Amino acid sequence: MGQVLALAISAVLLAGFYASMAYGLGLIYGVLRVVNLAHGGMIMASAYLSWVLFTRFNIDPYLAIPIVMVVFFVVGVAMYKGLVRFLPRGAAGGVQSLLLLFGVWLVIRNIAYLLFTGDDQAVRTSYSTASISIFGNSYSLNRVLVFVISLVAVAVLQLWLSRTYTGKAVRAVTENSGSSTLVGIDVERVYALTFGVGTALAGLAGVLASTLFAFNPSFGSGELLKSFVIIVLGGLGSVVGIAVGALVLSFAEIFAIYVVPSYLTAAVGFVLLVVVLVVRPSGLFGAKVLR
Amino acid sequence: MLEVRDLDVFYGDAQALHGMALRVDEGEVVTLVGANGAGKTTTLRAISGLQKVARGDITFEGKSIVGRPGHTRSELGISLVPEGRELWPSLTVLENLELGCYAKSARKHRDESLERVFDLFPRLHERTKQLAGSMSGGEQQMVAIARGLMSRPRLLMFDEPSLGLAPVIVTQVFAIIRRLAREGLTILLVEQNLKKALEVADRGYVVETGSITMAGPARELLSNEGIRAAYLGL
Repeated sequence: MGQVLALAISAVLLAGFYASMAYGLGLIYGVLRVVNLAHGGMIMASAYLSWVLFTRFNIDPYLAIPIVMVVFFVVGVAMYKGLVRFLPRGAAGGVQSLLLLFGVWLVIRNIAYLLFTGDDQAVRTSYSTASISIFGNSYSLNRVLVFVISLVAVAVLQLWLSRTYTGKAVRAVTENSGSSTLVGIDVERVYALTFGVGTALAGLAGVLASTLFAFNPSFGSGELLKSFVIIVLGGLGSVVGIAVGALVLSFAEIFAIYVVPSYLTAAVGFVLLVVVLVVRPSGLFGAKVLR
Repeated sequence: MLEVRDLDVFYGDAQALHGMALRVDEGEVVTLVGANGAGKTTTLRAISGLQKVARGDITFEGKSIVGRPGHTRSELGISLVPEGRELWPSLTVLENLELGCYAKSARKHRDESLERVFDLFPRLHERTKQLAGSMSGGEQQMVAIARGLMSRPRLLMFDEPSLGLAPVIVTQVFAIIRRLAREGLTILLVEQNLKKALEVADRGYVVETGSITMAGPARELLSNEGIRAAYLGL
């Protein structure tokens, strides 16, 4: 029983990180109907930015979060205005946007190989090995901090979407862009803003990842696929969907150690994805997917 | 107030408007009638900036608005209640209304605009927290009209406001249009229910294949033999 509780807490902590990682991908897909295949590349690039800020400028990764998020927001807006804007939207634009953003990912990855080589890096702070105790089990301080920051980020985003005029405009554009134009919403501006916010979230996920894992320029592909699994599991309609998707994935991965060898746990998410796509193609929450 | 001159609009290769021209003066109710696919909706979409214009001019209060982006219309004082309501279904009624006054000039007057539309549609006041998509067709039409009013327009355009609604609701919708007209709002109404439309309007235009074929005071059009034969089956 004690071990089950310990694993469950680990799974919840992991789910927090997963949610912040998936939210950016889900937001961009929900509003623009574009699968941002460069999402994983952005997470990797952000992990390196966090590493550079820490090793060169001695900036603590957690304090670097605002800087990194602003940088990635600007990168996202620029990517929208320079590239994504020209893509056909929706079903018609599926292949073009996948190819373009996959290309962006390859470019980012190869730039990272050039700048940083393929060696594994990690951000090791003075408190990297510190731990805190929850219900008698000890957990790494970083995991707990990452969980808390993820929760805060998702909550802030949710408040922004539900309480502010701009957030409501984002939701309105998601559902009906024609009506949005009629009431005076600059739809192109909302698209650029959304791409910026989604990319800033990838930036956040990258910083958080840099405190937990070692990374190299190939880092991010697993994160992209897991984000994808979470979105398919939970649907795009709500923060609740994302949270549930993240929990299902993290619990499945962590409790899989009882049934499969540990080197196979990474495959659990993808098995889950295939099963859900076969059994319930609309996701666990069915109709609650944003149009 | 509004003047459309020589408008050509294309959907791909298909030409939807051929030299469309019309005028709406301040305080008037003008209706655009005609068969399905004649170009009525396209005309309203062009005025609202949702549809690109190939040739011709649209002026509002003396200024050309043709080249300006669609989202600036609301700020100018032009509002459209679109065909099929086009609400945001998973947003609440209140959110739908609040977004109606998204434009900066209108946002300052949010509270008084809300008061005004709740006075017009008391039912909406009780339903502010309901999701717009879960309402009946008639209620959704009320939300759509209320949203159109939230921007404090000087010209309000309706596209087929009676489409798909029960007769009782249609009567209510036209009562609202009459009331708004009495209060001095300038209205451009597109409607397939030609009889009802010509009854509320001061003037009317008959549209056929993308241009105006007949124009005149609504009462004259209503008694015109040709129109009665073609559109009213009389």
